[in-house]
Amino acid sequence: MLRRTLPALRSVKDGVGGAARQAVKGEAQHFPSLRGHPAARANAREAAEGQARLAAAEEEEERRRGGRPAPAAAAATVKEFQVYRWNPDSPGRPFLQSYFVDLAACGPMVLDVLVKIKSEHDSTLAFRRSCREGICGSCSMSIDGVNTVACLKPVDTDTSRASMITPLPHMYVVKDLVVDLTNFYQQYKSIEPWLKTKRPPPPASAEEAGARGTARGEHRQSPAQRKKLDGLYECILCACCSTACPSYWWNSEEFLGPAALLHAYRWVSDSRDDYGEERVQALAEGWDKMYRCRMIKSCTATCPKSLDPSAAISAMKALHQLRKAA
Amino acid sequence: MASRPKLSGIQRQVLALYRGFLRTARQKAPEERHRIEAVVSVEFRENARNVDRRNFVYIEYLLRRGKRQLEQLKNPDITGLSTLEVNK
Repeated sequence: MLRRTLPALRSVKDGVGGAARQAVKGEAQHFPSLRGHPAARANAREAAEGQARLAAAEEEEERRRGGRPAPAAAAATVKEFQVYRWNPDSPGRPFLQSYFVDLAACGPMVLDVLVKIKSEHDSTLAFRRSCREGICGSCSMSIDGVNTVACLKPVDTDTSRASMITPLPHMYVVKDLVVDLTNFYQQYKSIEPWLKTKRPPPPASAEEAGARGTARGEHRQSPAQRKKLDGLYECILCACCSTACPSYWWNSEEFLGPAALLHAYRWVSDSRDDYGEERVQALAEGWDKMYRCRMIKSCTATCPKSLDPSAAISAMKALHQLRKAA
Repeated sequence: MASRPKLSGIQRQVLALYRGFLRTARQKAPEERHRIEAVVSVEFRENARNVDRRNFVYIEYLLRRGKRQLEQLKNPDITGLSTLEVNK
């Protein structure tokens, strides 16, 4: 049985325990990733609180029953999930099908609920999933109107309200929660997301050449230059931001979308890449590719990895305007 | 010559897709070309007979599927295609 009481969330990372800090000897300052992203910790807190609320509801129910044996599915922990269904092979329009899931016997995330529905209630439900840890970007869908990846979204444990799970908005549906992302991937391909250099890498020193067996060196980058890529390289191409952008809804063919533009800025700000100016020029030339962004910022609000595509797009617009002026 | 019926946009798209398949088939080897043409024409005729002409959602879904298959077929590394009947 899962331990669902609120765990002690104070740890070394919160600055508690001077002895522990001494043991670490200040190494955590050199590895900020060990401290944990504040958004990730907030997400974990939300999941833990939800599970604690669930445990409390279960105990309350048991007390009310007066210790009598529980019915098959305890009513206090059963939640309704309305899932979008559409099968191209069968006639008819799309509809919302309700499933009732006992949250006490299910994992904390929406993906766990979907897997449970598929394995126990209805095996015809189609959805994409792979890593179950928020790094592959397969399970992106709209949960209660918000685009996120299902494996990172804790279930809202309020059993009085139904939860609605629909595919990403304004995308062609292939089946149930699976959408057609070929246009999205083509747009990512169109920004040429690989390293383009004008010069070969500097030759390696004698000992490096001996160790590696070749005189060809590496494109070197200082930590300060590498820090410029933070917040840009983490994008998992889940398509949550692009499908949340109204500008992308109305012009998905011409407008590249926040995800592709975030990656374009990642390559523009990479110090090893020599074609930064040309990349920005290519984006700004076709007026629709980048300048259809209207600073709606829906992308930043919905990103499951807490990235900021609108800031990246603004930075690229600024770069283009400054280069035009220069 | 009899007057040609005015084709709707979706009918033109279907015919353009069919034309695309036949043109791509011409690029492949002769025996494969016949097989591709046979498979494609059977599929199109079956769907034309079975699918209700007012069911736009399903027709558009089939068009998107067909376009993706055509893109795959256009790849010069692809030499042919075949179909398999699964009996339940």
